[in-house]
Amino acid sequence: MSRRILIIDDEADIREVVALSLETVADWEVVTASSGAQGLASAIEHQPDAILLDVMMPGMDGPTTFRELRNNPATARIPVLLLTAKVQSTDQKRFADLGVEAVLFKPFDPLTLSEQIAAALGWGECPEPNPGNP
Amino acid sequence: MTDPAGQPALTEALGRLWVQFLPQMEERVAILESAAAALAANQLSIEQHQAAHAAAHKLAGVLGTFGLTKGTILAREAETLCSAEPGPGSAVAARLAQIAAQLHAIVQNRK
Repeated sequence: MSRRILIIDDEADIREVVALSLETVADWEVVTASSGAQGLASAIEHQPDAILLDVMMPGMDGPTTFRELRNNPATARIPVLLLTAKVQSTDQKRFADLGVEAVLFKPFDPLTLSEQIAAALGWGECPEPNPGNP
Repeated sequence: MTDPAGQPALTEALGRLWVQFLPQMEERVAILESAAAALAANQLSIEQHQAAHAAAHKLAGVLGTFGLTKGTILAREAETLCSAEPGPGSAVAARLAQIAAQLHAIVQNRK
């Protein structure tokens, strides 16, 4: 089954590597946004299967964006995974308390990122790329 | 789950992305080098301190993704040094300069 993932991250290099990883390894569709505000609009428009959300962003940061997503009926049920380079245990506890589905850490292995997402969301086995899939 | 046959394609594409984003990596390292020099001269401004902290954080998050694990470890140390408030003391200037130099070499030497 094909998946659509929305990446919200202000860093272009991270957006590109995540997109490359998910498209190449898992054959998932990727939509990107470079800010929390753009991500909210994109989530409403594209209705992704999951959102990868950066924590530290200028303007609307990750936790604020997450709360906005949850408060909007159009996006409230979309699973959100935080993607962060913050590895201190106090940060991890704070992120877990937000109510996100999972917290993934940068740096990540581009070869296994889709596996991490699938495992965190209980999606089971990622499908092999299937050109016949719509 | 993953597509092993896709690994060479992924590695090759990652190489292209590295080249594309190399100027950004170099800029982030240069920010750390400047901050270390300013700190050694006891002239680190608040703006330089904040920029160095952000640059270290970004490098920590991205270098390992391109296979540069040691770069992430060093950048994390720099981030910790730069997270001190109101700013890193001059005692850590030498270590910050050392880290910046090592990061410079790591970024320049990635194939």
